[in-house]
Amino acid sequence: MPFAYIDPGSGSMLLQVILAGALAVPFFLRRTITDTWHRIRGGHDARPSDSSEETDSPT
Amino acid sequence: MRDRRIAARRPIPRPEGPDTEPASFRDPAGFVFRREGVIHRQVQAAGAADWQAFLASGLYERLVADQLIVDHEEVSLELAARPDAAAVIRPRPIGFISYPYEWCFSQLKEAALLTLEVQSRALDAGMRLKDASAYNVQFDGGAPILIDSLSFEPAEPTEPWTAYRQFCEHFLAPLALIAHRDARCGLMLRDFIDGVPLDLAVRLLPGRTWLNLGLASHLHLHAGAQARAARTAPSEGSQARPARRVSATGQRAVLDSLRRTVAGLRWSPTGHWAGYATTTSYSEAATASKAEIVGEMLAAIGGSSVWDLGANTGVYSQLAADRGYRVIAWDQDAGSVEAHWRAGRGGANVEILPLVLDLSNPSPSLGWGLEERPSFLERGTPDVILALALVHHLAIGNNVPLARVAELFARMAPRAIVEFVPKEDPMTGHLLSARRDIFTDYTIEGFRAAFGTAFSIERETRVADSTRTLFQLERRDS
Repeated sequence: MPFAYIDPGSGSMLLQVILAGALAVPFFLRRTITDTWHRIRGGHDARPSDSSEETDSPT
Repeated sequence: MRDRRIAARRPIPRPEGPDTEPASFRDPAGFVFRREGVIHRQVQAAGAADWQAFLASGLYERLVADQLIVDHEEVSLELAARPDAAAVIRPRPIGFISYPYEWCFSQLKEAALLTLEVQSRALDAGMRLKDASAYNVQFDGGAPILIDSLSFEPAEPTEPWTAYRQFCEHFLAPLALIAHRDARCGLMLRDFIDGVPLDLAVRLLPGRTWLNLGLASHLHLHAGAQARAARTAPSEGSQARPARRVSATGQRAVLDSLRRTVAGLRWSPTGHWAGYATTTSYSEAATASKAEIVGEMLAAIGGSSVWDLGANTGVYSQLAADRGYRVIAWDQDAGSVEAHWRAGRGGANVEILPLVLDLSNPSPSLGWGLEERPSFLERGTPDVILALALVHHLAIGNNVPLARVAELFARMAPRAIVEFVPKEDPMTGHLLSARRDIFTDYTIEGFRAAFGTAFSIERETRVADSTRTLFQLERRDS
């Protein structure tokens, strides 16, 4: 890994590895379900939720 | 004493050259400088490979197309600040540079979501953001935009994100503190210029935030992991450790978790000020008269930029914007700024930028050598300031003599529209109701005398059906 110019923090990096392991399976399943759901409904964009932002509606 | 003052004011020589931006020293890949007042960015040899990779990846075009990053033009190397440039770019200028401690909750949240979106797009292109600083985001045309074109580097999808920690400290911790504790926690970013330390954030957050999976992971467990790493002896550390890897899916999962955590944070203003505009003592006739007079004064003054001080939820900012002004709408109350920002979020007027500022203790110069983040006075000079229903709060609410108020206004702008609210007005009366009236000079004559030193009074008009008076002022030297 190239050295980052900011300090990534060894604890932060370790936690990220742990979280990546723990979150990967539920994330993968959810994405698969979402993809399948959109395909069943005939949507062309298989993964619209992946990068779309949820925004607050004004109160 | 005098010698010391001179020494303190001597400009600090910078290795990159005289016109480099003082905030631009952390990243060896390049730096920002001004040439004839125009912002340029120089790519250094150390950043040349990353820069070429970024351009070759097509990521820049995609980010520009969706207005996620500021666009730039590449200019001749002859325009470099120093001869060792690998490239020189001229980014499209941003109207006003604001800082995270001046943003309301939704602005910080939108900046956070922008950062995650950019990181997600970067991963798609085989790149990543090498930092996740809130200072890399500015508000332009009513939306957040990344301004640091040099923030990208090539990365394998299996390398953990080196900016994860910075993202949590710059964005997630303050957002969680505002959402779950108090909106004033946003001001902590003024003390902690590199983000709120996570150990402090988790001490301040209520215990119930453990029940939020995202906050539990990215803040509580994160702070614990940092503490554990700090206890580990350095000899066991970096030297022999193999590089840590994550799965590509795991990488996406962490990013998605951060996005969901940020998106799930909510805060709604409940303060006194957010409802102020609807609870004032004005009659309809007075409101109409005031708007008419302010409109006439703006028309007489001209210019293109307005700072609306004590803007509240922006009634008069809108009035100025409707007349073609670019407006910075300052208010000390985060709730008002939040309400103002949300009202404009529908695209009503992108020429207004609402920001949080307490005029009695405004954003100071911060950071290394006190030059990294300039004070609010050093970041621009508007053509005109609006100070409507403000001066009584400064003079009576904060005990600032009227002459001092005039002095500050004169430092800020060459022209001003200022409202005088006398003691007979119910709002001023309310400020005085629980205290001794020590403000013998707080009269309209006192106002004329105080403001008449720095300004000439161009016009003075009483607002119909009220006790208030509007003054159109022009600084004496201009």
